[in-house]
Amino acid sequence: MRLPLPRRAVLAAAVIGFAVLPPAGANPYFIYIANLGLVYVLLAIGLNMLIGYAGQLAFANAALFGIGAYATGLLRVDHGLPFFLAFPAGVAVATAIGVVIALPALRLRGLYLALASIAFAQFCLWAFVHWERVTYGAGGVRLPRLSFAPLPVSVEVGIYYLTLGLVVLMSWLAWNMLRSRVGRALVALRESEVAASALAIDLTRYKAYAFGVSAMFAGVAGGLFSALLGIVTPETFDLYQVVSHFAMVVVGGIGSLWGAIIGAALLVGLQEVLRAFRELQEIAFGALILFTVLFMPSGLIAFIKRFASGWDEPLRRTEGDR
Amino acid sequence: MLPFLLVSGLTTGALYALVAIGLVLVYRSTTHINFAHGELFMVGGFLAYTGVVILGWPYVPSLILAVIGTFILGIVSDRAIFRPLIHAPGLSMVLATVGFSFLLKGIGRLLWGGRGEFTSMPPIVDPSPIFLAGLPILPQQLVVLAAAVACMLALAAFFRGTTAGKSMQATAESTRASYLVGIRVERVYMYTWGAGAAIAAVAGCFMAPLTLLSPDIGFNLLLKAFAATILGGLGSMGGAVVGGFAVGIIESLAGGYVYTAFQDVSAFIVIIAVLVLRPQGLFGTRPAREA
Repeated sequence: MRLPLPRRAVLAAAVIGFAVLPPAGANPYFIYIANLGLVYVLLAIGLNMLIGYAGQLAFANAALFGIGAYATGLLRVDHGLPFFLAFPAGVAVATAIGVVIALPALRLRGLYLALASIAFAQFCLWAFVHWERVTYGAGGVRLPRLSFAPLPVSVEVGIYYLTLGLVVLMSWLAWNMLRSRVGRALVALRESEVAASALAIDLTRYKAYAFGVSAMFAGVAGGLFSALLGIVTPETFDLYQVVSHFAMVVVGGIGSLWGAIIGAALLVGLQEVLRAFRELQEIAFGALILFTVLFMPSGLIAFIKRFASGWDEPLRRTEGDR
Repeated sequence: MLPFLLVSGLTTGALYALVAIGLVLVYRSTTHINFAHGELFMVGGFLAYTGVVILGWPYVPSLILAVIGTFILGIVSDRAIFRPLIHAPGLSMVLATVGFSFLLKGIGRLLWGGRGEFTSMPPIVDPSPIFLAGLPILPQQLVVLAAAVACMLALAAFFRGTTAGKSMQATAESTRASYLVGIRVERVYMYTWGAGAAIAAVAGCFMAPLTLLSPDIGFNLLLKAFAATILGGLGSMGGAVVGGFAVGIIESLAGGYVYTAFQDVSAFIVIIAVLVLRPQGLFGTRPAREA
């Protein structure tokens, strides 16, 4: 049986639900968790575009997230830029670095790309810790408090609405991009690079595009994350961060936009429940990845699609065709 | 200073080579990279620690405990995780090994993590340095070097001289052809995952007294082993050995002459530089295989 669960209604309900949290008197901790969940939605969507749609197995997402956070934070601290200038500049830096690392990555495929990008991620982590003149080293950068002065909202609520607005905007952008010629080109090069180039798809251009867009999502998430936490520390962007992004994408559903959103929301919740027990977080994330890969390779979204109508997505791999 | 740096580079290099050999063994047979290899190393080290420190056993039985324990762990992981994915795309295997590594790390932290940030392990042999041609050398370093070389020779003999070793190479060359000539590919894979885990444990047992143990050591070591395998050419056993020694010496020299913190980062730079400039590695002859 299929439930009548129209996607538009669910989406509208979700957005409205998030939007009324602060006026409904949710406590600050709950708003913080909701905000964190929204930041991870951006990360998961960006990573899913790269892995799920373009088929590029790269581990650099956490590093670009860190670069976005550091660039935004450092521009504010060292150059006194206001947040609303530093944030777009930080996103631009992350995007630019994403495109630049794509250039050598264009020569690499499969496992080789995975290894090179994981080395890049560790290199960035090392730079965050040891390039003390710029990054302030292992202690991290403490950021000045934000202010949404003319608007009658507190800082926390202001960041929350900014994040929510950007998530809605960028999910919409991603949805439209994936439905367009670009999305089709990315999927074509995922399925077969030879066939894609035979169809006159410029591999170099579209791969660079995928890396750039994915880096832009990570950069936006990084800038918002720095504002949300008020401090940027290197160990935030370690291997745990890399794997948690992967877990979100995999558990939600590789190659599905809705899957990324569901996976991010679910795993941020789980992470908060297990906040005090790092070993249990690791066990839970590892076990969830294994369970998903073994028993439901299309992720949670496959269940929703089976039991509710109207959730089909453009360019989505069908069941059983993995 | 140079001879001293070379000696310490050779010792760590021997360990990197040993870890890299385990990676290459699994890659050669299954064409998958085991991202959980570092965590198997960690588990091996902690099993030896359990034997020596917690149970108070001598060193050799503890080593055997660690090797047998991880061998079983490797076989169980094959039956539970990797065999069901035998026909799945490469991406699923990467994700599965990453998930498995996190699972092991969490379990390691749960079992052994409550003992402070780092856990130290008593030395195998007398820790005071001996002097060879005026060079201070730790006997521990000589033991590590000897053990690593012995493992490498044993593996080389195994691949050349035994049917099992040849079957492993055959499955790597072509799964389909191996089935056709009657090789039980699934069984070969199972023993490969077990053997890879056991080699990781041997490295873990010898490394533990030299450095310190923590549930997080696995990943860093895995990256060093990646650097070694990539430098030597992915899939080449001899290349991994030379690559391991090279990475150890590069690290040691970079740390000694350039800047101390460079020691940690040189392996990543090696990986990126080799992959960008010469993806087939120094000794790889076949073109970079898509996985």
